[in-house]
Amino acid sequence: MTGDPARPARAALWVTCLVDQLFPQVGEAAAAVLRRAGVDVDVPPGQTCCGQIAFNDGFWPEAARLARKFLDDFADAPAVVAPSASCATMVREFYPLLLRDDPPTAARARALAGRTYELTEFLVDRVGVTDLGARFPHRVAYHPSCHALRGLRLRDQPRRLLGAVRDLELRELAGAEECCGFGGMFAVTFAALSGSMLQAKLAAVEASGAEVVTSTDCSCLMHLAGGLSRRGSPVRAVHIAEILAAR
Amino acid sequence: MTRPAPIDFVRNAEAALANPALHASVRRAMVRFRELQRAVIGEVPDWQDLREYAHRVKMHTLAHLDRYLEQLEAAVTAAGGRVHWARDAGEARRIIVDLVRSHGGRAVVKSKSMTSEEIELNEALQTAGCRVVETDLGEYLLQLAGDRPAHLIAPAVHRSRDDIARLLARHLGVPVYDDPRDLTQVAREALRRAFLGAEVGITGVNFAVAETGTLVIVENEGNARLTTTLPPVHIALMGLEKVVPRLADLAVFLTLLPRAATGQRMSSYVSLVTGPRRAGEADGPDQLHLVILDNGRSSIAADPVMAEALACIRCGACLDVCPVFERTAGHAYGSVYSGPIGAVITPLLRGLDVAGRLPFASSLCGACGEICPVRIDLPRLLLELRARVVGGGGARLTERAFVRGWTAVMAHPSRLRVAGRLARWVLRVLWRGRLPVPFPLSAWTRVRDLPPPPPAAFRDLWNTSRRKETGP
Amino acid sequence: MSARDEILARLRARAPSEVLLPPVRPPAGPAGDVVDLFARRARDAGAEVVVVPASAWPARLAENLVGRGVRMAAVWDDPVLSPAVASLQEAGVAVVHAAGQTPQQLDACDAGLTTADAAVAVSGTLVLSCGPGRPRAASLLPALHVAVLPAGRIVATLDELLAARPASLPSALTLVTGPSRTADIELVPVRGVHGPTDVMVVVVG
Repeated sequence: MTGDPARPARAALWVTCLVDQLFPQVGEAAAAVLRRAGVDVDVPPGQTCCGQIAFNDGFWPEAARLARKFLDDFADAPAVVAPSASCATMVREFYPLLLRDDPPTAARARALAGRTYELTEFLVDRVGVTDLGARFPHRVAYHPSCHALRGLRLRDQPRRLLGAVRDLELRELAGAEECCGFGGMFAVTFAALSGSMLQAKLAAVEASGAEVVTSTDCSCLMHLAGGLSRRGSPVRAVHIAEILAAR
Repeated sequence: MTRPAPIDFVRNAEAALANPALHASVRRAMVRFRELQRAVIGEVPDWQDLREYAHRVKMHTLAHLDRYLEQLEAAVTAAGGRVHWARDAGEARRIIVDLVRSHGGRAVVKSKSMTSEEIELNEALQTAGCRVVETDLGEYLLQLAGDRPAHLIAPAVHRSRDDIARLLARHLGVPVYDDPRDLTQVAREALRRAFLGAEVGITGVNFAVAETGTLVIVENEGNARLTTTLPPVHIALMGLEKVVPRLADLAVFLTLLPRAATGQRMSSYVSLVTGPRRAGEADGPDQLHLVILDNGRSSIAADPVMAEALACIRCGACLDVCPVFERTAGHAYGSVYSGPIGAVITPLLRGLDVAGRLPFASSLCGACGEICPVRIDLPRLLLELRARVVGGGGARLTERAFVRGWTAVMAHPSRLRVAGRLARWVLRVLWRGRLPVPFPLSAWTRVRDLPPPPPAAFRDLWNTSRRKETGP
Repeated sequence: MSARDEILARLRARAPSEVLLPPVRPPAGPAGDVVDLFARRARDAGAEVVVVPASAWPARLAENLVGRGVRMAAVWDDPVLSPAVASLQEAGVAVVHAAGQTPQQLDACDAGLTTADAAVAVSGTLVLSCGPGRPRAASLLPALHVAVLPAGRIVATLDELLAARPASLPSALTLVTGPSRTADIELVPVRGVHGPTDVMVVVVG
C-alpha cells in the first residue's frame, strides 16, 4: 500500500447501537476490514445511539439530545465510519435539519457530516481499496438498503468490494431497489404492511438462488433474517463487513 | 359540529392486505407504470435540470400567489371568462350549483378532477336536481359502481375487468363482455350520448397561465376536449396553487407531467383554453367560468416548511413507486389524495387530529422523493409532519414511553451497558421459548423471529480484545 | 370581505420568499432531421404518418381515405387544404365544411380533415389552433382525424414552440399526440375511447 497523503490513516469506528448490542461480530469485522485497509481504528468509548429511531418517529427533542451527545463523542475524530448507511444518512442528511433551531450546533453537525462515511463508501472512495483479500465461497445476493441507495446515493461501492472477494458468486436480486419493509418503528407499528414487504423481498432473495443475502445495514438484515428464520429458509443474512473480513 | 373520525390507517391497511387479489392487481399496474416512466424519463438528458426548474418556478409562484392569481384573474377576464373565488369546499359547491342552475342546466358532464372530488361536487349537484355524468372512463365506471378513485390518474385500478363487465351489463343492458375494447366501446357510446345532450361541462385545471389567462387541461381520452367543446357553459375548477407565471413554463411542465404520470412523451390531448368561444367560431362554450378554490391551501402556502407540498402537479408517480400504496391502494388513506403526497396533503388540509397517522404510514424508503418530477422532498415532509404530530401530543403512550426510555438509556453509556445486558438476557429467555413474547416485541414477532442473542456487546468484546493486544 | 379579497389577503400576509423566478430555458439547439424525428415519435404515439411531396399529396390522401372506406369528410376552411377538396370529391368522397355542421352531423362523418399550425418533433405532437372555420370538434368527433402538416412547420421541442409565443392565443389551442386512448380497464391500452380511433398525419414537403 502506498503512502498517499490524502489517504486517511485513522478513523473512528462508529459501531451504531444495533451492532453494539445485538451484532458485535459485525463491529469486529468492520474494525478488522479497516485495519486490513491500513486504517488505524479508534472506538470512542462514550458512543451510544445517533437518535435516528426517535427522529424518524417524530420525537425531535429527544433525537436532538442524542445528536448533541454524538457530536461531542466524535468531535475529535478525523473521520467517522459506520457499518450502516442508515445511521450515516442520519448524521449527514438529517442532523442539520434536526438542529436547525440551534445554528452553532447545526454548524458543528455540518462539519462532522463532511467527515462521516458508511463503511463501503469509506473504503472505496476515501481509502481507495476494493480488494481486501477476502474469500467467501458462497452465492450472495446484495440487498441495497434504501439509505444506501437514496440516502447516501451510494453507487457501486458495495458491489465493487463484493466483486473482489474470492470465490464469491454475486446473484442479482429482482426488484432490488424496492424497500424490504423495515423502516424503524414502521416494522412494528405497521407490522402487517412491513411483513408483506418483507415477504416480497424474501421471495426475490430465494428466487435469486443465493445462499447468503448481504447489505450495508444491520437493521434491514435483522428484519430479513427474522423473516428467513420464520420461513425456515436455509438462506443466511450476513453483513457486508463480515464477508469482507472472511478469509 | 361533531369532529370527523380520525383516519385509522392501520385498520384500513390490514383490511386491504386481507385481499391479496387487490395487491396483485395494483402491483401489476404500478410495476407497468414504473417501466413506462423509466423509459421516457431516461431519454431526457436534462431531466434533473427540468425538475429543478419546475421546483423553482413552483416555489417562486407559491410565494407570490396573490400577485399571480390577480394577474390570472385579469387575463381570464380580458379573454371573456368570469372568475369566481371560493374560500372553502362549501362555497365552491354553492358557486357551481348556482351557475349550473342559472343556465337552467340539468345535464352536466364532467371530466376528471381530483379537486371536484375533494369538494364532493357530484353529491351537491345531484342534490340540486342535476344529472352529473363522469366522463373519464375510469371515473364513469366508479360512478356507476358508487365507488371512489383509488389512484390519482388510474382511478379504477383496483377493479377487475370481470367486475367492470358485470357493472356495465347491469347499468347499460349490454352483454357481459370480456375484452376491454368492447367494454370501452360500450361506455363510449353511452358517454357520447351524454355529451351531445349536455348543457354544462365541468373540468379541472392542470395549469393556469397567469400572463395569458390560459387554462391547461391534460388528458388521454378526449373527454375533457368534449367537455370544453360541446356544452354551452364550461366551468373550470382549480386549486389556487395551479397557477404558473408564463406560457413558456408549460414547456417544462408538459415535459415532466406526462412522463411521470403515464410514461408517455406527451398525453394524447393538451387543451390550452383561453376564454370562451369567440365571434365567428363554430363551437366551444359561450361562457367560461373559472372557480379558484382555497379550501386550506392558503394556510399551507403560508407555512414555510410545508408550502412545498403545494408544488404537486398530481402526476401520481409517488404512488406508483410507493411500497405502501401498492399494498393498500388509495382507499386506505381515507382521502381523495393517497400515497405519499396524500399522506402529506391530507393532514394539512384536514388536520393532524383527523389524518395524523398518515405520515407514519411509510417506511421512509425515499422512492417518492426520488421520482417526484417537481422535486418535492416528500420523505422530509413526512418527517416534519411526524414531528408536529408528536409535538402536538399526538403520539401514543406506548410509543412515547419507549422513545423516552430509549433516550434516557442512550444518553449515558453506563446505562446502555446495563440495559443492554438486561435486553440480551431477555432475548436469551425468549429465544429458549420459555416465555410468551411480550408487547411491544410481539409486534415484531408477528411476522418475523427475534435475532439470536449475542454473548456480549461489541463494547465489551472490543475492550477485552484491546487488553489482549496491548498486554497487561 | 369578499371571498376574493379574503383569499388574497391571506396570501399576502406572509413573509416573501427568496426564490426567484428562473429565466425561461433557451430552446435546445438543432435536433437534426426534425421531420424524421417527428414521424418516428408520432408513430410511437399511435399515429399513422405519411411524408409526401407537395405535388402528390392530395391524390395520395384521396386514395388512402377511399381505401379506408371514408365516404364523408368534414374539412377545416384553410388554404392549405384546398387542393385536397377537389381530389377527394373526384374520388367520390363527400366533403363538407366542418364549421357548418352540428355536433351530431360531425359525429356522423367518417373523417375530420384539419391542418396543423405546428408540430413538435420530440413528442410527435400536432398543434391545432381553432378559430372561425376551424372548429374544435372536427379533430374530435369523427373516428378518423387527418392532419395536413407542411414540413416547415415542425419544430424540435416544446421550448421552441412556446418561446415564439403568439401575440394572442386562440380560444382553444390543442396539442394532439396520437389517437384518443385509455388504459382504465386493467391497464390494457384501448384506442378511441372518446376521440378519434385513428390519427393520420400527412407531412407535406
